[in-house]
Amino acid sequence: MKRKLYSIVLSICLAYSATAQEPEATPLDTLTNRVGMIQSNLDVLNRIKISGYLQPQFQVADSTGEQSYAGGNFTDTDKRFQLRRARVKVQYDAPLNEKGISPAQFVFQIDVTQNGVTIKDMYGKLTDKWIGWFSLTAGMQNRPFGYEIGYSSSMRESPERSRVIQIIFPNERDLGAMIIIQGPKTGTWNWLKLEAGMFNGTGAPGAGVNTSDFDKKKDFIGHLSMSRTVGGEKIKYGLGVSYYDGGFRIDTSNVWKPGLDAAGTPGFLPVSTKADVAPSKANREYAKRKYTGVDAQFSIDWFPGITTLRGEYLQGEQPGTSSTTTSPSAPVVTNDIYNRNFNGAYFYFLQDILQTPFQAIVKYDWYDPNTDAAGDEVGKPVTGNVKATTAADLKYTTLGLGMAYRYNENIKFTAYYDMVENEESSNLASGINYSRDLPDNVFTLRMQVKF
Amino acid sequence: MKKSILTLAIAFTTITGFAQKIVIKGSDTVLPLSQKEAESYMKKNSGKSITVIGGGSGVGIAALMDGTTDIAMSSRTLKMDERMKLKDAGRAFKEVTVANDALAVIVNPSNKIGKLTREQLEAIYTGKIKNWKEVGGDDMLIVVYSRETSSGTYEFFKEHVMNKKNYASSVLNMPATGAIIQSVSQTKGAIGYVGLAYISKEVKDVAVSYDKGKTYVPASIANAKNKTYPIVRPLFYFYPVQKEKQVKPFIDFILSAEGQQIVDQIGYVGLK
Repeated sequence: MKRKLYSIVLSICLAYSATAQEPEATPLDTLTNRVGMIQSNLDVLNRIKISGYLQPQFQVADSTGEQSYAGGNFTDTDKRFQLRRARVKVQYDAPLNEKGISPAQFVFQIDVTQNGVTIKDMYGKLTDKWIGWFSLTAGMQNRPFGYEIGYSSSMRESPERSRVIQIIFPNERDLGAMIIIQGPKTGTWNWLKLEAGMFNGTGAPGAGVNTSDFDKKKDFIGHLSMSRTVGGEKIKYGLGVSYYDGGFRIDTSNVWKPGLDAAGTPGFLPVSTKADVAPSKANREYAKRKYTGVDAQFSIDWFPGITTLRGEYLQGEQPGTSSTTTSPSAPVVTNDIYNRNFNGAYFYFLQDILQTPFQAIVKYDWYDPNTDAAGDEVGKPVTGNVKATTAADLKYTTLGLGMAYRYNENIKFTAYYDMVENEESSNLASGINYSRDLPDNVFTLRMQVKF
Repeated sequence: MKKSILTLAIAFTTITGFAQKIVIKGSDTVLPLSQKEAESYMKKNSGKSITVIGGGSGVGIAALMDGTTDIAMSSRTLKMDERMKLKDAGRAFKEVTVANDALAVIVNPSNKIGKLTREQLEAIYTGKIKNWKEVGGDDMLIVVYSRETSSGTYEFFKEHVMNKKNYASSVLNMPATGAIIQSVSQTKGAIGYVGLAYISKEVKDVAVSYDKGKTYVPASIANAKNKTYPIVRPLFYFYPVQKEKQVKPFIDFILSAEGQQIVDQIGYVGLK
C-alpha cells in the first residue's frame, strides 16, 4: 500500500516537474501567436470581397411619355426620380497556390431597384493551377463582345450604354460557359486576351425578359483583345475584335429579308425556303444572328489631365419583328420575322480637368437598324409581295454631353444631357410623326455611391 | 471661465497634434530613407510625428487609393490603371522624386563570382542558367531570390535587367529586402538583388556589365552619380493634393541640402 502511495506521489511530482520544465511563454511569444491567429483569420476574410454601388437619379425628358434608352421609357411623365441601379456583389477568391495563382473564383451580383430584384452575375471561374493561362467560367455572366458590355456601370462615364449595345445585347449578360486565355498578370503575355464561349442567346433577366433557352442552338461569342502601356506608363492603348454567331428558332412561316420592290423601294421580301414551318420544333430552321465588331481605347496622362478616347463599331445581321429590332429573348411565334442588316457605333471623349475632381464627357453614338433603307425610303409604300419598312428601321444618333464630379472615392455626381436625333421620313408622319426630329432629349442628374 | 479656456486650449493642442501626424507607407526600398529622414525631421521639429510603414510599392499605392496613407513611397512610377483609379476616386495626387537608388546584385560572400553580365543575370533569373559553373563559378546550384510581385523593385528588375522576360517559377519570392539579405548570407549558392542602401558585410555585391562583358561596374553611389553603373532608378513619393499643406514641409526637408546629405549618407543616390 505504502509502495503504491509512494508511486502515486512520485508520479504527481514528476508530472509537475515536467510541466514546470516547459518554457513559459514570453509576452512576445503570446503576441506573435495572437498576431499569427489574427493574420490567419484575416487571410480567410480577405478571400471574400463585398462591393456595390447605387445610382439614384433625377431625369427630365423633353416630352411626357417619352420612349427612351436613357434608363427606360417615361410613363405618363416627363420628370422622374429613379433608382437606376443598386448593386451588391460578393466575390470569393480561392487562396493563391504556390505559383501565385488563385485556382477558383465565385461571383454573385444582384440588382435591387424599384423594379424588383434581379440577378446580374452568378458564375464560377476555374483557372488552371499550373501556369494560370487558362480559365473556364460558367453561369450568368457578361457576354464577351466588345468593350462597353463588360465595362462596369459604376465606372462608365455616360449614364447608360449606347443604344446599339442596349438593343443588340439587352441586359448585357447571358447564361453560358466561356474559356479565357490570358497570361498571368506578372507575365510577358498578359497584354493579350482571348475570350470565347457558348451562350443560350436569350440574354439575362430584366424587365419581362425570359431567361430560359427555347431552342437547341447555342450562340458562339468571341473577343480577342490587347492592352498595352507605353511612355513610362503614361499612355495606354487597347484594341479588340469580336464575333457573334448565333440564331433563334423560327416558329412562323412568315420570314422576310431585305430587298427591293419593282419600283426599287427598299422593303422586305419573303424568304421562300421558310414557307412552311416544320411541325416538330426540333426540325425548324433558325434565324441567323451574326455580328462582327472592333473596339479601341486610348488614354494619355499629360498636362491637361488624363484624356481618354474610346470607340467601338459593330455590324451584322439581326432578326426581329416589324416593330422592333431588339434581340429576342423568347420565341417569336405569332409575329413575322424580319431579318435586317444593321450597324452601330459609339465614341467617347473624356477629359479630366487638370488636377481637379472634374471630368468632361462627350459621347456620340448611332444605331442604324436597317442599312438597306434610309430617310424617306423608310415607311415608303411598296408593291407586290413586299413588306414596307417601319419606324423600327429608322436610324438614331445620340450626342451626350456631361460633367462628372468625383466628390471622393465613394461618391460621384454626374450631370449629363442626351441629345437624341432620329432619322426623318415623310412617309412616317401618321401616328408618331417621324417626319421631324422627335422631342426625346433627356437630362440626367445622378449621384453614385460606391462601396 | 478659466476652465473653459483651458479645455479649449487642450482641445486645440490635441487637434493640432493630430494634424501634424504624417503616415508614410509603401516601398521597402525607400523605407530606410524615409525612416532616417523622418527621424532627423522630427528632431528638428518637435511635436511633429511621422510613422513609416513598409510592405512594398504596391501596398503604398493601394493605401493612397483608399486614403489610408498621407504619402505613398514607391520605387516605380504609377501604372496607367492606377493613375485612372486614383482619378476616379477623386484623389488628385502629386509625384516627387526624392532620391535615386542603385540596385545591387548580391551573392553569398563565399561565392568566388565577382562580376556578371546583364545577359547572364537574365539567364539566371529566367532559369536558363542553373549552376554557377556556367558563369565561371563553382559547381553549385544557383538559388535565386527575388522580391514579391507587389514590389516595385521586382518590376524594375524584370523590366531593366531581365529585358521584360518572365521570372522562372523556381525563383524564391521574399516578402522584404531584409529577408533577401538574410537568405543570401546564409545560402552558399544564392543570388539576389537589393537596394544599395541595404548592402552589408553579410553579402557580396557583384559588378555588372551592360556592354556584353567589355566593362564591369560595381554598384556604388559614385558610379551611380557618374552614370557608369547601369541599374539606377528614381524613388518616388506620391501624395494627395489635399494633403499638400500637411506633407510639403517634410518633403521640402528631404529635397533640401540637409535632406539630400542624409540620402547619400545611408547609401542612396542624391538628386544633386
